[in-house]
Amino acid sequence: MFDAFIDGLFLVLQWKAFSLMLVGMSLGFCVGLLPGIGGAATLALMLPFVFKMSPAEAFAFLLGMHSVAATTGDITSVLFGVPGEAISAATVVDGYPMAKRGEAGRALGAALMSSLMGALIGAVALALAIPIVRPLVLTFGSPELFMLSLIGISCITSLSGSSTRAQIKGFAMGLLGLLVSTVGQDRQSGSQRFDMGLMYLWDGLDFVPVLVGIFAIPEIIDLAVRGTSIAGDRPPENLSRGVLEGVKDTFRHFWLVFRCSVIGVFVGILPGAGGGVAQWMAYAHAVQSAKNSKEREGFGKGDVRGVLGPGAANNSKEGGELIPTVAFGVPGSGAMAILLSGFLIMGIMPGPDMLTKHLTITFSMVWTLAIANVITVLLCLLVLDQLAKLTYVRGSLIIPFILLLVFVGSYTANGQIADLIVTLIFGLLSYVMVLFGWPRPPFVLGFVLGKVIETYLFISMNRYGFAWLAHPIVMLLTAVLVAVIAYPYVQQRRQRLARGASA
Amino acid sequence: MRKGSLLFCVFLIAVALCSIILARGWAFKAALFPLSVSVPLLVLATIQLLVVIVGKPETSGSAEMDVDFSTDVAPDEVRRRVLGIFAWIVAFIALVYLLGFPSTVPLFIFLYLKFQSAVSWLSSVIAAAITWACFHMLFQSLVHIQFEAGAIQTWLGM
Repeated sequence: MFDAFIDGLFLVLQWKAFSLMLVGMSLGFCVGLLPGIGGAATLALMLPFVFKMSPAEAFAFLLGMHSVAATTGDITSVLFGVPGEAISAATVVDGYPMAKRGEAGRALGAALMSSLMGALIGAVALALAIPIVRPLVLTFGSPELFMLSLIGISCITSLSGSSTRAQIKGFAMGLLGLLVSTVGQDRQSGSQRFDMGLMYLWDGLDFVPVLVGIFAIPEIIDLAVRGTSIAGDRPPENLSRGVLEGVKDTFRHFWLVFRCSVIGVFVGILPGAGGGVAQWMAYAHAVQSAKNSKEREGFGKGDVRGVLGPGAANNSKEGGELIPTVAFGVPGSGAMAILLSGFLIMGIMPGPDMLTKHLTITFSMVWTLAIANVITVLLCLLVLDQLAKLTYVRGSLIIPFILLLVFVGSYTANGQIADLIVTLIFGLLSYVMVLFGWPRPPFVLGFVLGKVIETYLFISMNRYGFAWLAHPIVMLLTAVLVAVIAYPYVQQRRQRLARGASA
Repeated sequence: MRKGSLLFCVFLIAVALCSIILARGWAFKAALFPLSVSVPLLVLATIQLLVVIVGKPETSGSAEMDVDFSTDVAPDEVRRRVLGIFAWIVAFIALVYLLGFPSTVPLFIFLYLKFQSAVSWLSSVIAAAITWACFHMLFQSLVHIQFEAGAIQTWLGM
């Protein structure tokens, strides 16, 4: 096994594979910066180019591109409040307020270093987990995945704030997100729901136009209203020191980064959940990790922990997603399904062979994930100073370019003008939500998880009736669900008691 | 602020009620999930509406776990600037509809920089040209995104 591990490294370091990985990384870097054009779409576009490559070269090229897109997606999230990837949306919540506060360098340093840590932890998980992951994946059927999605949605309690009013608003927004996710054809009965007679809505609402509208439009409006640069009239931060501070933050909160990476790996392993869920679960975990209400106050207003958690989970889930793809040929996401076709083009059948005959190639993937992220983060750290300066450019000069990025990004979802209108509608809804104090993260969580929850619920009911409720893992996950919902209340009660005792 | 919160609650109640009414006409399997979401949404929005009407006014207008808008600008000026940027966004979408993306990109950048940002003619033209070149190279040549022709081009048969 150790020989295969080392041979995998040498496969990646061969000049041709290494050069192709660098080409892939450059493409992934650009794609990550452009909102809407996801890593999955680029993988699909680049697939025809791998026909003449060897397996190691092809995976170095494809994985190098895909893993880097998740890393650089955080850059626009922090700088402009526009998620570079759908899986970078949670980074906006605290990363952009940090940029507005004149701490763009620190936020970027934290986002990139936590991404690197997440990617490395994901790569290690991939290397270690392949022989032992089979029972885990086979134990998780639809009922268990449904319960896991419910645990995801229960994070609303942590994303809403501590007061009763905030909880009511948070749950209402989560429910609205779930309701919006039901637009389009019902997969079970084929009925059209809330389609308003528009063919565009038959497939439901795509994540990209909705998420970009939700996060980018209010920020653009606010930037136009302020009439200043993104960082306002504050004196420019010492950018190098800011970036270094962000890097240090990653190590100051190392255990949070580690735990969020583990969340990312776990969510990545389970088919259908994807990075959209991992980032929000990691964000909610970061909020829950706050020891008291004072520590929680900063979240949503520019707390570095809100950048570290999603940053780590986004990248670690790449390693997690590769585990079932490589070991069983079960892709954990759309991007992995496309990568699976790359396996077939190469004449490689995912499954037990990847742990025996093709073990060297499997380890070359681990090395690609690690090396591509290390190089990207090091290069990014060198140019972050210049990137962060963008937050000091006059708002009126930067707005047309941000608008362009936003609308081209949302247009790529379906290639229709309707995508732009959807972005505008959800942008206005989001503006009103911020204006009147209704939290957006629960809405996004509901929207992202809605389809998954409904699908798994129906499969569970059709397959098992109500008997699935008695599955041991379902019962265990129910206990976890109750704990996740109750934890913030228990924490508050404990703090009240402690305050009462000290008074 | 209170009026806005009231209106948003009413909006949520209306959305929930519409969903419930529409879902009643669907097959059971299709209606179950939207109904099980709409009913609690209706209940929560109604509770919040009552809280806004009879409860104590909120101390802060912003959500606890979300960003705040800046409060440094006078409300009248805020309204004027919001309408202004909203008009630019709508104009952008209208231009894309009429001219298609490739023509809209340089035109919009030029118009915005010249008339909203008060940038000189030459700088606006150069910025528009560079943006168009980047747009063409990245989205059309490299990523091969197919952009729909604008309504005017279609009408002219171009």
